Amino acid sequence: MARLSWTGLAHPLSGRDAFEHLRREVDQLFARVGPEAPHGVHPPVNLYESADGFVLTAELPGMKLADIELAVHGNRLTIRGERKISYPDDGRTNLHRRERQAGQFRRAVELPVAIDSEKVEASYRSGVLLVKLPKPASQRPRRIEVQAQ
Amino acid sequence: MTNPSTTTHEASATPELRSREKQAIEQETTRGGPVFRADVDIVEGKDEYLVTADLPGVESADVQVRLEGGVLSIETTRGFTPEIGWTPVYSEYASGSFYREFRLSDQIDVSRISAKMRDGVLELHLPKAEQHRPRRIEVTS
Repeated sequence: MARLSWTGLAHPLSGRDAFEHLRREVDQLFARVGPEAPHGVHPPVNLYESADGFVLTAELPGMKLADIELAVHGNRLTIRGERKISYPDDGRTNLHRRERQAGQFRRAVELPVAIDSEKVEASYRSGVLLVKLPKPASQRPRRIEVQAQ
Repeated sequence: MTNPSTTTHEASATPELRSREKQAIEQETTRGGPVFRADVDIVEGKDEYLVTADLPGVESADVQVRLEGGVLSIETTRGFTPEIGWTPVYSEYASGSFYREFRLSDQIDVSRISAKMRDGVLELHLPKAEQHRPRRIEVTS
């Protein structure tokens, strides 16, 4: 796994700049675990817009809930976890085919608006992770009554 | 019906690790929607073969495991469906059904095959026929 590196930083950054720099580094880190990564797990993700926010689905069959971690910061949702696959080995075990992928993964999704992190709901069913990300009330479409003069 | 590229005899068709992209199968079906090739692990133990297939979004009632003419097939009829009113914003995978088939060698006791589905993963236990299990032969003097 790639590591955050602070070398090559000409002068110490302060406050906002440092945060911005870190954010860029993290972005690059996520980009590296993107679709090009040849090994490990890359759970495919779909994003939908619903009436009250966004819905994210990810195909993660055979996971334990304890091995999935979700975090919301502003408009960014991060899913990380580890898919573990093990088979009993009685000393005479032969692996004929191995297509299912195991290992650690980390995905970040940036949403067009900030999310009401208090109201995020996640569920897991039949190997699909479903995260409901409601928009804050101020971002939702509001119906405005047109008054007759 | 037998597609040679999905039988256990042609291992070269499957590299060790593939990118996460789902593989669509060209197949003539009467139903609409794409059919995907399920990712599968096959482990041979002392007494049985264990076939594990990733079928994300599929409930146990929607999986059909069939054995016909020595060919074991895994087929799903329905997968995850987004709710009405959800507009796709960004998409990395399509939902559809899964299909996979394997030609079984004759060393499997077909009467004792069992299947279990959990969290979108199908586990198929294929016990070896009695006469093919390894046996220790005592050498007497």
